[in-house]
Amino acid sequence: MAKILIPTALRQFTEQKDSVEVDGGTVADVLHQLTAQYPNIKKNLFTDQGKLRSFINIYVNDEDIRYLDKDATKLEGNETLSIVPSIAGGAIAVAEPETAALSNEEIARYSRHLILPEVGMEGQLQLKRAKVALIGAGGLGAPLGLYLAAAGVGRIGVVDFDVVDASNLQRQVIHGTHDIGRKKLDSAGDRMRDINPNVRIDKFEVGLSSENALEILKDYDMVIDGTDNFPTRYLVNDACVLLKKPNVYGSIFRFEGQATVFAYEDGPCYRCLYPEPPPPGLVPSCAEGGVLGILPGIIGLIQATEAVKLILGVGDTLKGRLLLYDALGMRFRELKLRRDPDCPVCGDHPTVTKLIDYQEFCGLRSAPPPPVQAEGVIDPQEVKRKLDRGDDFLLVDVREPHEFQIARIPGSKLIPLGELPKRLNELNTDADIVAHCKSGARSQKAVDLLKQNGFKHVRNMTGGILAWSDKVDPSVPKY
Amino acid sequence: MIEIESKPWHTMVLHAERTYPKECCGAMLGYMRGEEKVVTDAVPLENSYDGSQGARYELRPEDLLAADKAARARGLDLIGIFHSHPDCDAYFSKTDLQNSCPWYSFVVLSIQNGKFDHANSFLPDADQSRADSEELKWQKS
Repeated sequence: MAKILIPTALRQFTEQKDSVEVDGGTVADVLHQLTAQYPNIKKNLFTDQGKLRSFINIYVNDEDIRYLDKDATKLEGNETLSIVPSIAGGAIAVAEPETAALSNEEIARYSRHLILPEVGMEGQLQLKRAKVALIGAGGLGAPLGLYLAAAGVGRIGVVDFDVVDASNLQRQVIHGTHDIGRKKLDSAGDRMRDINPNVRIDKFEVGLSSENALEILKDYDMVIDGTDNFPTRYLVNDACVLLKKPNVYGSIFRFEGQATVFAYEDGPCYRCLYPEPPPPGLVPSCAEGGVLGILPGIIGLIQATEAVKLILGVGDTLKGRLLLYDALGMRFRELKLRRDPDCPVCGDHPTVTKLIDYQEFCGLRSAPPPPVQAEGVIDPQEVKRKLDRGDDFLLVDVREPHEFQIARIPGSKLIPLGELPKRLNELNTDADIVAHCKSGARSQKAVDLLKQNGFKHVRNMTGGILAWSDKVDPSVPKY
Repeated sequence: MIEIESKPWHTMVLHAERTYPKECCGAMLGYMRGEEKVVTDAVPLENSYDGSQGARYELRPEDLLAADKAARARGLDLIGIFHSHPDCDAYFSKTDLQNSCPWYSFVVLSIQNGKFDHANSFLPDADQSRADSEELKWQKS
């Protein structure tokens, strides 16, 4: 009798026996006896054509039968046979063929897609084969990441180098409270994998730049822009035009948002719409101007819808249409966009044929650094000492009333910067005045204005109320 | 479901991190608790792939046989294979699938910049045409 050791997973076919003893003169005989005794084990060991499956090796004692007489190897009757699989693998496939089928788990998961004729099995496989680059895991990136993962987009490259901050959680729903301080890539990656472990996530912990953009984006089918600054927006646009990949665009500000698809087929690009960036500082960012937390959810999901439609090739895309959304009026409007034949990037005679310096293009590099004034400044600790000593001085808060409601320094007087010119008469030109705001920029303007108007002892509190919270009184909330 | 106890989990992560930037591989030993697999021992094995091991691994069948014997000697079973993906997501690649075997759980550890990032477990089918994901739990030490 030869003894065949049964691997754990096959014991369900052998009445849970971990070894089976059978008679036979050769390995082939013994395996035949085994499958005769336990017919259900057969398909695990042999193909439908009756050949031993390619990953199976049979060992007689310690010898691989490939180096003996294969399945004609003779047995005396006291041998132990082992069934040992060949196992290998690796992160990168030698040649990654097209994904051919969905697993049962995926079929169950995507059932509501599969029964839509517009998606179906073929469409779901297209989603699985799709490779989408997502720039930013913030306000727009959060709903995009969640829904694209859930929809079964096979590979999602996420570019982000930020960490989760408490002020993100009001809208960046891919991150949770316990993620504060974590890299957004890690936090978003965990959440997306939790939603759908079938998705492959490529993390790029970099700021997208002229040096790396083409290299990062070339492997993807399309790019979704979830950034909120002009240099990156122009960079993404130009890279998409150069790589001939659609740019699914969205932007948000306060209560309004926009979305469209740029650089797709014969449609326009971002530069056809905005050839030049606005002067620096004219359009505030969300960090400066605020944003309704729900807004990026709506705009991000419009982008996600467009991305999925591009992958499936169904419906009418936003190509050539700029969709405008106003949350307060709860209205959608549409503007027609056309490709500009004179566009410097996608026009008939492009003058921009490679990526440029977008910081400079947006006037950010050439902006003069804020003047450093050692004179006329005071740090928060010194202000605190003045308050504690009961010095005779006036602390002027030049922020807006709604900011004053969020956090204030006790004893300060609120005069918003915009009202200061007409309220100068409330102040004494000989008084010792300290101005502060949120971070020190507006109060510097206030100091300059006061000095121009003859005030003799005016100083700016460096770092504003944020620095006050850090250095003097942590109970004052930061916003 | 496959649950990995803290000691073998520590062994696997350490092996994967130390082998970085190459792929590591090894065997997981344990037992069945009802429908659940419980891993109580992890055995690091040599990556015998002949070539650049940054994104490939191969297990010697002899090593696997030895691991299986060691398991049986301790009253355990060989229930899974683990390997790492350096600087790459823990997904089941085509290469993984085409060289897999349906009898075992395949745990893939993603190692990013030399540090463990995340892991997934997969159950390939007999035709090597697809792999289902399997719920994976591990106990942190």
